[in-house]
Amino acid sequence: MDPGLRKTHTLYFQWLGDLCAEGEIAVNIGGVRVVLFGDVLKRYPESRLAELVNCSTQNSELISSLCDDFDPGRKEFYFDRDPDTFKCIIDVYYFDEIHIKRGICPICFIKEMEFWKIDQSVLDECCKSYLSEKEEELKEIASKVKVILEDLEVDQCITRTQQCQRFLWKLMEKPGSSLPARIIAIASFLSILVSAVVMCVGTIPELQVTDAEGKLVEHPTLEAIETACMLWFTTEFLLRLASSPNKLHFALSIMNIIDFMAIMPFYVVLSLTYLGTTSMMELTNVQQAVQALRIMRIARIFKLARHSSGLQTLTYALKRSLKELGLLLMYMGVGIFVFSALGYTMEQSHPETLFRSIPQSFWWAIITMTTVGYGDIYPKTTLGKCNAAVSFLCGVIAIALPIHPIINNFVIFYNKQKVLETAAKHEVELMELKSGREARRKSHKNKCFHHVLLHSCKKCACS
Amino acid sequence: MPQGGHFYLNKAGSRSTSSLPPEPVDIIRSKSCFRRVRLNVGGLPHEVLWRTLDRLPRTRLGKLRDCNSHESLMEVCDDYNLEENEYFFDRHPGAFTSILNFYRTGKLHMMEEMCALSFSQELDYWGIDEIYLESCCQARYHQKKEQMNEELKREADNLKDREGEEFDNTCCAEKRKKLWDLLEKPSSSVAAKILAIISILFIVLSTIALSLNTLPELQDTDEFGQSTDNPQLAHVEAVCIAWFTMEYLLRFLSSPNKWKFFKGPLNVIDLLAILPYYVTIFLTESNKSVLQFQNVRRVVQIFRIMRILRILKLARHSTGLQSLGFTLRRSYNELGLLILFLAMGIMIFSSLVFFAEKDEEDTKFKSIPASFWWATITMTTVGYGDIYPKTLLGKIVGGLCCIAGVLVIALPIPIIVNNFSEFYKEQKRQEKALKRREALERAKRNGSIVSMNLKEAFARSAELMDVVVEKSERPHDNHLSPSRWKWTPKRAASETSSNRSFNAQELRSPSKARATSPQRLNAQKLEEMYNQMAKTQSQPNLNAKDRGSRVGKQRDEIELGTIQDHGPPVLGTRDGVGDMKSLSSIDSYISCATDFQESTRFPHSPGIDLGVQESNRFSYSPATALSQHVGTKTGHQTTGEREPMLTPVSVTKPSCPENSRKFFFSGNYSKGLIPKGSCRSEGESGLSPLSDSSVMSDHSLLSPEVSVYTTASSRTPPKSPEDTTLAPTVFTFHDSSISKYIDADTDDDEHLRDISDTSPSERLLAGGSPKRSVNKNYQRGTNHLEAAQKMLGQNCLFPLEGIRGISHENHIGPEMHGSYQSQLCS
Repeated sequence: MDPGLRKTHTLYFQWLGDLCAEGEIAVNIGGVRVVLFGDVLKRYPESRLAELVNCSTQNSELISSLCDDFDPGRKEFYFDRDPDTFKCIIDVYYFDEIHIKRGICPICFIKEMEFWKIDQSVLDECCKSYLSEKEEELKEIASKVKVILEDLEVDQCITRTQQCQRFLWKLMEKPGSSLPARIIAIASFLSILVSAVVMCVGTIPELQVTDAEGKLVEHPTLEAIETACMLWFTTEFLLRLASSPNKLHFALSIMNIIDFMAIMPFYVVLSLTYLGTTSMMELTNVQQAVQALRIMRIARIFKLARHSSGLQTLTYALKRSLKELGLLLMYMGVGIFVFSALGYTMEQSHPETLFRSIPQSFWWAIITMTTVGYGDIYPKTTLGKCNAAVSFLCGVIAIALPIHPIINNFVIFYNKQKVLETAAKHEVELMELKSGREARRKSHKNKCFHHVLLHSCKKCACS
Repeated sequence: MPQGGHFYLNKAGSRSTSSLPPEPVDIIRSKSCFRRVRLNVGGLPHEVLWRTLDRLPRTRLGKLRDCNSHESLMEVCDDYNLEENEYFFDRHPGAFTSILNFYRTGKLHMMEEMCALSFSQELDYWGIDEIYLESCCQARYHQKKEQMNEELKREADNLKDREGEEFDNTCCAEKRKKLWDLLEKPSSSVAAKILAIISILFIVLSTIALSLNTLPELQDTDEFGQSTDNPQLAHVEAVCIAWFTMEYLLRFLSSPNKWKFFKGPLNVIDLLAILPYYVTIFLTESNKSVLQFQNVRRVVQIFRIMRILRILKLARHSTGLQSLGFTLRRSYNELGLLILFLAMGIMIFSSLVFFAEKDEEDTKFKSIPASFWWATITMTTVGYGDIYPKTLLGKIVGGLCCIAGVLVIALPIPIIVNNFSEFYKEQKRQEKALKRREALERAKRNGSIVSMNLKEAFARSAELMDVVVEKSERPHDNHLSPSRWKWTPKRAASETSSNRSFNAQELRSPSKARATSPQRLNAQKLEEMYNQMAKTQSQPNLNAKDRGSRVGKQRDEIELGTIQDHGPPVLGTRDGVGDMKSLSSIDSYISCATDFQESTRFPHSPGIDLGVQESNRFSYSPATALSQHVGTKTGHQTTGEREPMLTPVSVTKPSCPENSRKFFFSGNYSKGLIPKGSCRSEGESGLSPLSDSSVMSDHSLLSPEVSVYTTASSRTPPKSPEDTTLAPTVFTFHDSSISKYIDADTDDDEHLRDISDTSPSERLLAGGSPKRSVNKNYQRGTNHLEAAQKMLGQNCLFPLEGIRGISHENHIGPEMHGSYQSQLCS
């Protein structure tokens, strides 16, 4: 920037006591008097100050619309605004760009810029990122607030069915809303655990019984528990579906898809066995399909995510760091290829090598690079051992490097979650306060004290 | 700050010419004359429309509009000037900018660089609820505040553990205290250190013996053919257990609070380490018959396992282990998350691998629970190799399992690590602080004067600060010898002696004469002193013709001030708890003493004495109020902010004209408790007791532009309660740029050692578990509160000069502020 320009700039930043000459206007911004050149201000004709210069002093109505007060004796326009921010904003007339002063909240700054009618585009790039960061945070808070407000919303639906629907929805989806809802949530959580345990225990051979054809099948009591759990899941799912205000939204939600996946295999198996017994399909086919569907039972474990914010955070963090995950897999893939090939060639010389082919040594490479090391395949030649050492080192690095940003994402998100929660709550309180529902706020324990204080202060002043 | 100085003097002129406070009519007229109002906050002028302030009528600024009498105005602001239409608030100017913007825009934002706690105090003062804070700043604000509260609480807890001991309730308190120190505080003496090392050695020895015992070569066989302990090792074991038992019993006997001792986690571990041995002996001795013996053996085996617990005894001697325990306790949420992640991963991968591998011949994946083991070993990347997948599908699952395991374990661990490192750092810091404090105590006990850099001294810990700022013409306070601090109420002598020693005696005497009516005595004495001083002061003043307009009315003003003070219940009732409460709940009021010094001409004038005395007293009273406040913590919520409107006081002594018009002003102030903080959490309130002093000096009263306003502060060093003769610590700093030498020193060691022993939080907690010193402090506090009240009245005698002694905690000098913040916000 031109140093001369800067000098003139500072020259016109004067304190009280100066009378302004022709073409200059004196403005008083919240107690700080500044004398400005009209010509300079006209560079941005849209801005408030430029308008002030343009309008003559006679037109008092226009002046009062532009500024808060006018002192005709000193020809001073008074603005009831923040002087600090103004000092930043006035830069635009001299340097055509604005930098947000450290310490001023960017959201607040933008409001001030709006007041001075200066376009946001003049804001410099370096400060824009700062602004956008804040705005993003605000948006997140706003979305949280929206959710909370939706919960708080008083029932507006008139019809009885709608009321029922809303009641059910709250009961099923908002465990914090009432005691029955909480009980339902706990019951659902327990049934997930029980069904998972049943699924695992059912595979223990000692607990299985042989059926008519000499095949091992699940214990009947376990099967009964399984059926009960499944019925519970089904009713839960159906109730959710029935009470959801937006069916499409419901169907597309990941949690509900998981729910569906957890229920579906049970019914498919039921229908398949029915079809098999009525010999509409070949029995072996049915049994194979049933076996395949049993794996689908694992999906019920994911149902836990509904009850744990930590798991939700994990999925969010993983979603956010898909790129890093891809990087991790790529590093691992490259490493596996390189080291398995190397290991294979180096082990060729040994007569009793465990590395029979490159695809087979993939397994070895994975196990070595992740430092698991089962010991089912291991190198026997010296070169192979050196290769194993190098591959282990590379594996540690290849895993550690991309994992760091993932962890970072997770930690940031985890911490942010906590902060946002409180922020959203406070935001709601603020909104309540502003809408004048103070009586309601009184019930809020924490803030009650302050209320009392303010009241007592008022009494103090009155008496 | 040229504006600040300018302002002060302006007001001084205007307020003094109209000797009486302005009539309500004048105030109303003045308010109706101007559309705008000028607010001077800590020297920074602001101009704002009245109607902007009306937007929030319940706040402090909103009430300014409604105030039509002198008294109510003085309740709201610290000073005002009707001609200039200017109102003065002695608060932090930085925070005020954002607060004023709240009136203008309706959006409360927080300055980035503001400390959240300081901002919250400012909000309290201005009567704005923090709930108005916009969401963009709110997140940061609450996060920081919570963090700070937690940290302060933890610190307070630690200090409570360290200092909350009392030995005076039963016999041989001295001996027990010595024993306690010997056993519990390894750093207190060489003997204690040796004892601690011996204890560690015994622990190590016993654990080695325990493990050697299981070696088959070293075991003997008894008559039943069962292997038993090696007799040599059994002896070692017995000796170790004897030592542990002795240690435990001695600790228990010497502990000041038996129940607390019994509950302490470290002591529980100790007990668990000892008990199994005795239980084993008891069981084997009581069941000699062969039949029962087999059953007993089984029980004994279980108790043998419990012997392992003794390794945890090492935690007593290692900060690292303690922080580990604390971290795990604090991050149980994250640990739960880790376990949940692992459990889910194990579940999923074990079932996947089971379905992949179950058709393989002689597979080891026989069931899902059986493959749990494989999944665990793979996910934690241990990989024993006893089970591993053989099919291609199984191997793919295995590979995924490895990567998922690494990820899942790595995710929550940084949070736990963060918790640990934070706590560990804090622990280290506290240990260092403790050591330094002990060193300081030792140095003081030896009678040596510790003189150090002001900044450094402050950085040590945030404490109540009392500073008497005096002129450099006076000799530095090295002349203070311990003998002067003797606890002898020789009043006559003290009057002629140096102001400092006089002062000290003054402070002590009331508590000595407590049996009679110390408060009244003390107060009367003070008043007497003050009047005497006022007379002498008025003498030169009459000569000073440049202030002639004011002089005639001085006496009137004195009377007026007195009435004003005694009339409204500024401090509530005169004595007792309620009084204390109200004083402590006062937002930041305020002690002020201006010490106008005639330098060489009146080196021993009572005025000087009184000036110092005043400052001492004032620094004293809020602090005592603080400790008192903690004692009576209940039911504070409603006292709240009623009293913040306490009339600020100002004391001025007119200048002597021949005396180059050097003004010397020592504002001494220590903040009691911010009401909000005190009600919300101890930690927060612990922050507040800061005091600062400001020096305002100007070379020419008639040319206000040359005034210099400096703020100097220093923290008071702690004193060990054992001292009877105290040597003061002297802080000095030199600022030649303002051609003034400011000798800031900690004035009152006696008071220090009682009140500001270490840190505010400690003081707070001292209230919770009363110890001797606190009691003393409390009683004295009452006395001095009384004195303080008196002093307030006396100070009010001269509301004319316009030099304000009101200072709030935000007025800490820049260097202190920085260090304070860095310490707290770190």
